[in-house]
Amino acid sequence: MRILIVEDEPDLLASLAQALREEGYAVDTAADGEDGFFKAESYDYDAVVLDVMLPKLDGWEILKRLRKLKKTPVLMLTARDQTRDRVKGLDTGADDYVVKPFDLPELFARLRALIRRSADQTTNQIEIGDVVVDTAARHVLHREKPVELTAREYALVEFLAVHRGEVVTRTQLYEHLFDENESSLSNLLDVHVSNVRKKLGAEFITTRRGHGYAIE
Amino acid sequence: MKIFNSIKWRLQIWYGLILVIVLAGFGLTAYQLERGRQFRRIDDELLRRVGVIAGVLHHPPPRRLDAGEPTFDRPPPDQLPGGGPFERDARPPTEFHLPPEAVGLFDTNDPNHFYFVINSRDGGELARSANAPKAEHVWDNRPSAKGDTLPQLRVDFFHSTAIQMFGKFREIFQTLPPGETIRVGCNIAPELKENWLVGLKLIAIGGIVLIFGLVGGWWLVGRAIRPIEDIGTTAAKISAGDLSQRINIAEAESELGQLAAVLNSTFARLESAFAQQQQFASDAAHELRTPVSVMLTQTQTALARERDASGYKQTVEACQRAAQRMRKLIESLLALARFDAGQEVLKRLRFDFRATIGECVELVKPLADQSGVKISAEGGSLEITGDPERLAQVVTNLLTNAIQYNRPEGEVRVKLELQGGLAVLTVVDTGQGIAAEDLPRVFERFYRADTSRSSANNGLGLAISKAIIEAHGGTIEVFSQPDAGTTFTVRLPV
Repeated sequence: MRILIVEDEPDLLASLAQALREEGYAVDTAADGEDGFFKAESYDYDAVVLDVMLPKLDGWEILKRLRKLKKTPVLMLTARDQTRDRVKGLDTGADDYVVKPFDLPELFARLRALIRRSADQTTNQIEIGDVVVDTAARHVLHREKPVELTAREYALVEFLAVHRGEVVTRTQLYEHLFDENESSLSNLLDVHVSNVRKKLGAEFITTRRGHGYAIE
Repeated sequence: MKIFNSIKWRLQIWYGLILVIVLAGFGLTAYQLERGRQFRRIDDELLRRVGVIAGVLHHPPPRRLDAGEPTFDRPPPDQLPGGGPFERDARPPTEFHLPPEAVGLFDTNDPNHFYFVINSRDGGELARSANAPKAEHVWDNRPSAKGDTLPQLRVDFFHSTAIQMFGKFREIFQTLPPGETIRVGCNIAPELKENWLVGLKLIAIGGIVLIFGLVGGWWLVGRAIRPIEDIGTTAAKISAGDLSQRINIAEAESELGQLAAVLNSTFARLESAFAQQQQFASDAAHELRTPVSVMLTQTQTALARERDASGYKQTVEACQRAAQRMRKLIESLLALARFDAGQEVLKRLRFDFRATIGECVELVKPLADQSGVKISAEGGSLEITGDPERLAQVVTNLLTNAIQYNRPEGEVRVKLELQGGLAVLTVVDTGQGIAAEDLPRVFERFYRADTSRSSANNGLGLAISKAIIEAHGGTIEVFSQPDAGTTFTVRLPV
């Protein structure tokens, strides 16, 4: 899952990015409105964390422009906690709203819920045969036993599970599993896929030659 | 208790009292006038009759031929030797008959009609009409305490006359000089009854007028008090927290209308001050949210798992920056609060303002170099009186703004000169300028022309500068041309 954070306070941006990366997300950052909008329209992020007060282009404007192009889930971060601000945020097309100062666990839970809803899921558990993917606890059960996966392996399983039945291209996987700072070495993805197959069974991920991967 | 506390009731009670007094005075006067008029009429009638009787006693009519004997046993006055009135004393009349022309004056059979009693000078009764009351009254000519007794004593050389009431009778008593006394009276019960009816009528009319007066007064007082009630209701709503309430002013010109207008303008100022206060508190809270978010996110991330020393160091450094930002904000808020409360005590020192400006320029030089902005200061030394530290704060703030909002390779020019007895400091930058619609608001608290939130600037700098300059009795102005630059001008008394 790849997330964009648009926030102009450098310390807040850095710690948010670090925390989300440690949660297993691929994270892109933008420190002003123009950069944020450019990135948001260039990539298909799984979610955008958007501050309201930004230099150059404020959060409302980014949201308004983005909504004409994409349905990317957007979580607004703001220091304004008055009802009218919240109403304005939600009416402009924000999917959720978090008031500063916030607690990280809450922000993470809201992001998970946002991503889940955008994939039309109702629960945090996805069952695929004898494999259960728990997106809240961020672990995978195989025959009711927990499976040791690296963060990147888990992210791969989760992304394919969320898009179950669809063929996910390698480009899509790169876009959603790696952030802008990582060099996309093509065989890195193959290594992850092969590791997951070792742990969850060779049939768990099917390869569509010339197209990509899928979980049936 | 409540009734006596209510202005409406108190006004009504006083108004009612005054109305009762006026009506009673008016009614009593009317009653007295009517009674006096009636008595005067009766008295005139009585006096006329006394006069007739006295005339008969003085000048008895000639002996009537048909009667064959004289009415009085003395000769007519023209036959008396000497002809003077005192001559009559020689032969007092012994009997009295009403002359025919006077018979109509006394209906001797009607007990309510006029009667007469004539006594001779020796006290014996000379004549008495049939309708005269049997009971004898004791005449007392001294003024008595009784209100009914009206000793309207008229004493002339010949006669002494008195009028007195005896129960239902009003009587005139006249003593003729030789000693005969004439009493003419009548039963005035009908007149008294009439008087009483007049009194009753007056009371009834007075009562009706009083009722109308009270009702009208109640209506008037209610009308007069309604604006006060409106004011009270509105004030109560405002006191309950609804500051948007205003008094509905119907008559703007009346005293209460003017009062309501004054109150409305007070309420309006109160509301805007309150809104400003709320905005200020909300802005202050808003400014504190971001550093608190930084600290929370940083510490929660750091504590989520084991870190190496440099990881913790980064977190601690970020927290320190956030805390310093909060400290700066809190100091600014406190300074503003002290200026607002008039508690900020400024030093009054004589110092060289030019030297202070030089120090400030040196202070911001690193920042200017970093942004590639050139600073130049001109002007000779100029001594002023004030608080050097506070004024240095203003200068530093203006310089920092001029550098931050400048273009790269821009310029900041500082000039100090003496103009018309004032020290005039101008800080000119070559930045992007401030839009015309933002200009009036740059001194407002937390106002920032661009929405960015660089941590160096909390939006209070210019507000504090303005407070400091104004506390020195000076002024601060801003002039700006978009894309050309901004000029801040500070004028301080020397």
